[in-house]
Amino acid sequence: MEKVLIDGLSFAAPLFIMAMGGIYSEKSGVTNLAVEGFQGFGAFIGALVAVLLMRRMGDGSQAVIYLAMLAACVGGGLYACIHGLLCVKFRANQVISGVVVNILAVALTTFLTSAVNKQLMGGSQSSNKFILGVSNRFTVPGLSRIPVLGALFRDMYPFELIILVIAVVVWYLMYKTRFGMRLRACGENPQAVDAAGGNVDRTRFLAVMISGALSGIGGICYAYSISANFSPNIYMGYGYLAIAAMIFGNWNIPATAAVCLFFGLAKSGGYQLCLSMGLSSNYSDLFMMLPYVLTLLLLTFFSKKNHPPKAAGEAYDAGKR
Amino acid sequence: MKKAESSHRFAALLDSERWSGITVPILSLLLSLITASILLLILGKNPLVAFLSFLQGSGFVAKSSYGGGAGMLTDFFTFLNVLAPMLLASLGFVVAFRAGLFNIGIAGQMLASGFLATAFIGYSGMSAWAAKPLVILVGAAAGGLLGAFVGFLKYRFNIHEVVSTIMLNYIVSYLTGFFINSKFADPLTRSMKICSNEARLSWTNVQISGMKCSLPLGILLAAIAVVAVKFLFDKTVFGFELRAVGRNPLCARYTGIKVGRRIVAALMLSGILAGLAGVTYYCGYYNTIVPKSLSSMGYDAIAVALLGNSTPIGCIFASILITIFQNGSNYMSSTLGVAKEIASLITGILLLFSSCGGYFRYLAHRKLEEARDKLTAAARAGTETPRNSADGGTKEEK
Repeated sequence: MEKVLIDGLSFAAPLFIMAMGGIYSEKSGVTNLAVEGFQGFGAFIGALVAVLLMRRMGDGSQAVIYLAMLAACVGGGLYACIHGLLCVKFRANQVISGVVVNILAVALTTFLTSAVNKQLMGGSQSSNKFILGVSNRFTVPGLSRIPVLGALFRDMYPFELIILVIAVVVWYLMYKTRFGMRLRACGENPQAVDAAGGNVDRTRFLAVMISGALSGIGGICYAYSISANFSPNIYMGYGYLAIAAMIFGNWNIPATAAVCLFFGLAKSGGYQLCLSMGLSSNYSDLFMMLPYVLTLLLLTFFSKKNHPPKAAGEAYDAGKR
Repeated sequence: MKKAESSHRFAALLDSERWSGITVPILSLLLSLITASILLLILGKNPLVAFLSFLQGSGFVAKSSYGGGAGMLTDFFTFLNVLAPMLLASLGFVVAFRAGLFNIGIAGQMLASGFLATAFIGYSGMSAWAAKPLVILVGAAAGGLLGAFVGFLKYRFNIHEVVSTIMLNYIVSYLTGFFINSKFADPLTRSMKICSNEARLSWTNVQISGMKCSLPLGILLAAIAVVAVKFLFDKTVFGFELRAVGRNPLCARYTGIKVGRRIVAALMLSGILAGLAGVTYYCGYYNTIVPKSLSSMGYDAIAVALLGNSTPIGCIFASILITIFQNGSNYMSSTLGVAKEIASLITGILLLFSSCGGYFRYLAHRKLEEARDKLTAAARAGTETPRNSADGGTKEEK
């Protein structure tokens, strides 16, 4: 039971921050299928920085992790510029642009990883992996004694706290500031924003960059927790799962947080259930399927009530009535 | 002055109704080849040698040496083997895209049809004459059903097809992974037990003038599909209705087209083509399925369709091009020592430029309009001297 909560939370937190990235972009009116690519590229930059730093600072240093997260954030944000440029400046189809950005991210990171490894190792053989450590865990002293729910505060990864802080900041930015209001308006009625003196294209571009930055953090967190390395395996489809969570959460940050937590618990709960019932590990595949099936099932009930941003999916055209 | 004129002609070529379908993709291709060349130069390799070895790897140009029993035809038929599913999958995307729908689920539909065909027919021990048509049938049915399901979800419950296809991709991937791992796994390779040669859609180890080749049946299927899709959109009422739905669903509804049914039909057709791609890929080019891995071809097909201007004929050229890069990458990597991932990188760059195609066209259009404005302004300014205005007028007409 404890393990379910601990693992569930550590899976849900990065998923949540990626989903928030998706929300930022879509709320500003840019459909974002590129979360998968953003998180992968962000994780790549983070892992690259970590590998370079580890040669200087030694393997065990935990400071590397935080620097890697920062790098992932910047890297994801910069990579998102491609999606921003295509969607905002070049008026490409946003769904296609998302797919393109994903394909390019997989190709680019795989290619660069082996190229960099070749340079670093100097040999002819090149692996397509950056080996990272696993992040240290810590336990919150008082809170972890609470029965049952206390497990949420035991063996936490530091990034879970960081993500929580970021989530609050990001929520505040979206709902309590002028910029956030403009951003949301860009996704509903961009003409009105233009009339009120806002710059639709700039706001959207910024929103896509924020989206990339947040997704990048999510990517490096997975690299440091689940896989303990960076390899093309980072493209497991968690970015798409984050999009599912966002839609399920009706483009609303608190609701999406709940959905992500639910997905995380369903995943770890399913896995533990498998173990405890003595089923072979094959059955964990069936539980992995669960979030997707649930999303599809629940969408059949709620999709009429769902309220996606009205202007999402089309480039802003000032002359359109 | 001459330079301005040639750039003017270039812009006109990009903008014209008749030629832009060809010129814009060619421009994107040139731009991406230039980018790739720069990349290769940075890596210290000769880009021309690299592009030549892509062609050599796909059997278009003879290699310097061949292994025993292999030859240029061997490579070429392998190339056709990969080309067939690629072409079918991209046609699948085109059919949905013309009706205004994004079938992102091609990878899942391919996997489902390949899995079902292998599981039901691949192990049955039927004779080749019964097995091969059945494999095709099962593949088409599986893909078509999945596609129709997506259409139904959109029509009945208003679920966006991009969302449902992504969900279905992962559902199919995990579900088939579960069945393969628990029932059909080969203990040695951990992937699905191989599909029997009778059911496989390509004849392996056929001797043609002393070279071992594997003849793909899929390429015939793909050729038929190209003709069928072209006929559907150009000559039939149904195809016209699909295009009408894609252009403007509200207007289509107003003219009496049953939009919901057309959506289901378009996605079903798209699924059938994706299913055919699946069987030619998993029971033709390959004869096994690695569990829980969606083929990247499902996404590459979107690239192909985009590059081919979402027309069936365009898809042929685009899929040949992209398959040359993908298929020739192994040979390129062995001759030049560049990681073979550069092939997908080039595909990615190509995609990037081709998704800007609309913008290139827009720029060309703007340039032409500016030039025209300048001419009329000059003509207006020169009304006192009639000779000038006449000159401007004729130029404008050109």
